[in-house]
Amino acid sequence: MAVVLARIDDRLIHGQVTVGWSERLRPDRIILASNEIAADPWQSRVYASSVPPAIAVSVVSLARAAVALRGPEAAAERTIVLTGTAAEMSDLAHLGAPLPGVNLGGLHFGAGKLEMLPFVFVDRRDLEALRRLLAAGLALTAQQVPGGREHAIGAQQIDEMERRL
Amino acid sequence: MIRALVITHGNIGAELVRVTGLILGPVEGLEARSNSGRSLADLRAAVSEWLVEGAAAGATGGIVFVDDYGGSCATAAQLACGHEPRRAIVSGVNLAMLLGFLTWR
Repeated sequence: MAVVLARIDDRLIHGQVTVGWSERLRPDRIILASNEIAADPWQSRVYASSVPPAIAVSVVSLARAAVALRGPEAAAERTIVLTGTAAEMSDLAHLGAPLPGVNLGGLHFGAGKLEMLPFVFVDRRDLEALRRLLAAGLALTAQQVPGGREHAIGAQQIDEMERRL
Repeated sequence: MIRALVITHGNIGAELVRVTGLILGPVEGLEARSNSGRSLADLRAAVSEWLVEGAAAGATGGIVFVDDYGGSCATAAQLACGHEPRRAIVSGVNLAMLLGFLTWR
């Protein structure tokens, strides 16, 4: 097994991941991939402390996450990979991280963002990154929690959002 | 007076604050924020704003009550409070905890 969930979520490590998805997917490890957070040991500790002790956690840069996910140890672990933005997930994919598809779990409202779904708000930068993920052959699914409704996100939805922006 | 902020999922915090007023009468220095619809960055900014307001009013610190350690409310509180020793975070907020705090602060 390797990556069991690659999730874009601007809350990163929180209950929907450590309780909701982890109860369903039983990961061995959660990887938080963020250049900004990985460069700050204190922030890294804050996020890492939110993960239950039974699950290993790594807070690493995008480049280190890609290397780790390509390594032989990764194949033996069930891993959840998190990024805070679509652009970071796109970068991770283009660095060669083997991802099974991408889950849009939570992009909350912010300046210049429009609602795609009640838990997914996007701007042009997000849409460009989602297009890159699609172009890389990755399926995009918006789903906040296990058992919640799955929304397939394709080029048509992205085009529609671009027109509205 | 020690100020306090209650940050929770949904309306739990607002309801807890409202009910403390029903029991004790109007209380000062107690506010609630919800994480509903907010990114972690936005929630962190809301806590920072509350801390700045307190500092402007002469408060040197405060207590942030959160509902669940490991959730976005707790993480936002930790990131906003940083290493300042006169800022404390208490997880597992409930009515008895708030009544005790308001009675003894």
